[in-house]
Amino acid sequence: MSTSESIIYMDYASASRTDPRVIEAMIPYMKDYFGNPSSPHTSGLKMKGALEEARASVARLINADRPSEIVFTSGATESNNMALRGVAFRNKDRGNHIVATKIEHISVLNTLKYLMKFGFEVTYVPVDGYGLVDLEALKNAINERTILVTIGYANNEVGTIQQIKEISEIVHSKNAYLHTDATAAVGKIPVDVLEDGIDLMTISSWDMYGPYGIGALYIKRGTRIEPLIIGGGQEGGLRSGTENVPGAVGMAKAAELAMAEMGSDASRLSKMRDRLIDGILKSIPHSFLNGHPTRRLPHNVNVRFSFVEGESLVLSLDMEGIAVSSGSACSSKTLEPSHVLIAMGIPHVEAQGSLLMSLGRFSKDEDVDKVLEVLPRIVKGLREMSPLTPEEVR
Amino acid sequence: MYSQKVMEHFRNPRNVGEIKDADGIGKVGNPVCVPPDTSIIVRNSIHQIGNLKNSDMVLSHDGDFHKIDRIFNRRYTGTILKIKTRLGTTTLTPDHMVFGFEVPKRNKYRYTKGKKELIKNLAWLHAYELNKGDIVAYPIPNKILDVKEIETNVEKSKHDFKSFEIPPRISVDGDFMRFAGYFLAEGRTRMERSKTYAELTFNINEEDKVVDVCQLVRKIFGIEPKIERIQKKKAIKVLIYSVHVARFLRKLFGKVNEKHIPEFMMYLPLEKQAELIKGLWYGGGYLDLKRPRASYSTISEELAHQIKILLLRQGIIPSVYEEQERASEGTRHRKAYRIFVLHTPSLMKLSSILSVDLNLRKKSRSEAWIEDNVLFTPITSVEKINYSGLVYNLEVKDAHSYLTPSLALHNCGDLMWIYIKVKDNRIEDIKFKTFGCGAAIATSSMITELAKGKTIEEALKITRQDVADALGGLPPIKMHCSNLAADGLKAAILDYMKKKGIKPPEGIKIESETDADHCNV
Repeated sequence: MSTSESIIYMDYASASRTDPRVIEAMIPYMKDYFGNPSSPHTSGLKMKGALEEARASVARLINADRPSEIVFTSGATESNNMALRGVAFRNKDRGNHIVATKIEHISVLNTLKYLMKFGFEVTYVPVDGYGLVDLEALKNAINERTILVTIGYANNEVGTIQQIKEISEIVHSKNAYLHTDATAAVGKIPVDVLEDGIDLMTISSWDMYGPYGIGALYIKRGTRIEPLIIGGGQEGGLRSGTENVPGAVGMAKAAELAMAEMGSDASRLSKMRDRLIDGILKSIPHSFLNGHPTRRLPHNVNVRFSFVEGESLVLSLDMEGIAVSSGSACSSKTLEPSHVLIAMGIPHVEAQGSLLMSLGRFSKDEDVDKVLEVLPRIVKGLREMSPLTPEEVR
Repeated sequence: MYSQKVMEHFRNPRNVGEIKDADGIGKVGNPVCVPPDTSIIVRNSIHQIGNLKNSDMVLSHDGDFHKIDRIFNRRYTGTILKIKTRLGTTTLTPDHMVFGFEVPKRNKYRYTKGKKELIKNLAWLHAYELNKGDIVAYPIPNKILDVKEIETNVEKSKHDFKSFEIPPRISVDGDFMRFAGYFLAEGRTRMERSKTYAELTFNINEEDKVVDVCQLVRKIFGIEPKIERIQKKKAIKVLIYSVHVARFLRKLFGKVNEKHIPEFMMYLPLEKQAELIKGLWYGGGYLDLKRPRASYSTISEELAHQIKILLLRQGIIPSVYEEQERASEGTRHRKAYRIFVLHTPSLMKLSSILSVDLNLRKKSRSEAWIEDNVLFTPITSVEKINYSGLVYNLEVKDAHSYLTPSLALHNCGDLMWIYIKVKDNRIEDIKFKTFGCGAAIATSSMITELAKGKTIEEALKITRQDVADALGGLPPIKMHCSNLAADGLKAAILDYMKKKGIKPPEGIKIESETDADHCNV
């Protein structure tokens, strides 16, 4: 709010801002207190106490049965790696089959690729045009060798929220574990691991305005898993390495703030979201919403515009001081547009013209006004330039 | 990411629009580019691109199958490139994009370790940018779909009361797969009037294999095979006198000169496929322990390709050579495809599948490797040939790429149209339209600035590099894909010359040209 006054930031899905109140809470643990939580002296015990309090706060946010089910990691990527690799290797005596979707985060997809080198087999179940998992296909994909199903709680890119409870019932009826990457969901919408029947869940810190460099993995008690990082046996032996206490304290503060403010944040952001979506679809012809119209994260807007290319849109909006993302191929090295949009069956050329605008706690109503004011002009300009634009649209 | 100059041209693109009464129009992007007889991988077999249908599923660089959206063709006269790798040869127009990376001169003589570091540069490159020694990436389809048993499903004819019944379902296990291998190598079905049967022919000293095949036939079909020794030809024949077995095998594997592996077998788990490879090699393959090498030869291009994929799935890197039709010692040898395995670790893997002890002390140095289900292999030669005739391209749903037996090809998404107005041999006015990223728009804008006021001859000399330099450089990946402007200008000038009946100067070629009709997406 101080350094970036002039910039309208609508890219919270790429990187979020740490809440100043979180930073306040962390400062004492960097400035005043120090000590190794494993040490038996007073300084160590002070840190240990703070760490365990932090664990309890994160556990409360997702309604975990007990704090020990939370393992702090270095972030969502590590949590995803740990969940998939840890469960796969620990349970390979039970089977070698894993089920996922094509719209998972790249850290999930690449970890699955890695596991395939070790003889694990992966089945990807399709999603529909809104990005919702096909439950029938999920049922059919799970076999007697399936040990793990991993499906994101909500998609970071198109905002679609999965029917996780139905998914967990299917998974558990077939005796497999359910891992869900809830990076985009925790702190934004109510997530209850007991109610939803989740065995493992990836939680990010910065996605809920906490500090960077920390995250967590919820592991339901009794889940067979082996550690990814081996050493001094911290975190119940599941994640070695001296604990990041300031990070944990910050993440816990973010979790407490989320519990207190989630409701008001969500209702405010979803109003802004709907105003943005309606405004764009009304004022710009040949524009379409990507993702589900109702089962949608409160802060996510993803729209596509025919006949224009996404990187040009991002650059044009940047000139107006608006930071957004795109599903365009031009920003990726392999010249492939977003794998999520492609998996949802959106044609290649159309996916190129997609724009992801993600709102956050610090977004203001005026931001929406500004986008609605400049975007129609930008799209029109690019369409005038494009050889794909039909005469009647010009 | 972009230079200030690029951003400045992006912000204020010069000369946007079209010229209604243009003297020349150049349309580039989304190029159209391989000859009609180019083989394309459809499902698990291969077809010539000229015979494809819209509904066909082609293999893309992501290792998955995708539907063809549209098929284009056009007449093309000019240079085309013949790019050779160990997997085969692909002929294509110079502008087609190929999945791979360049190996700078200083790395050319280093072996895989030095080249592996360059994987980070993996991108789609224009074919004309590729040279001998550069590495291309070839995805290996890794889908696994187990099939426990198949139905034999052979109809019994009305008046047939004597032929042996065979089981209605046959389990697809290691034994069946090994039999499939033997049959693909040495078998044939004969369908003559009142005499339909299957036979496998072995050399007289392959007694052990004959024993193996006979026990397999008994186990799988419950039929006692007949053995016939033909001393003169030094051959032993295993004869299966059963209409049902013959029809079943014909349905699965095809006629003798167009043998192929049925699609479902291409997805089976690796252990089952290893048994097929075993049968194939026991039957018709060759393994030389002294000069360590293995090879397999077939006249069926499709079978050669399928064996190649089966080997790659096992992590075995083969080389495929075409042997031209020839006559030696009075025998006519038909055009054949020979698959070699020379690469040491691959040979070790193959010999362990064949249960042969192979002790290789000296390791051959290798130039190819597999990583993340992608084969990385160097280009062994690039040949330029003159071509005149139809060329084809595919638009593939979701992936925009497709595979030939040796390369992964891609269409770039950017499109650029350049209009020129010429007066007294000078470019008096120039306008553009572009669909693409920031670089595509900036290069289009820059070329109009560079070309305006120049004579036709001067304008023809403007290169891609000139445009990039004038913009203060472009990010490397954009040099390949989004730097079409110089080509667009050339195309517009050539169009103008053609309309005026002026002969274009020697050596001017357009690196990427599109047929106008094909751009209206």
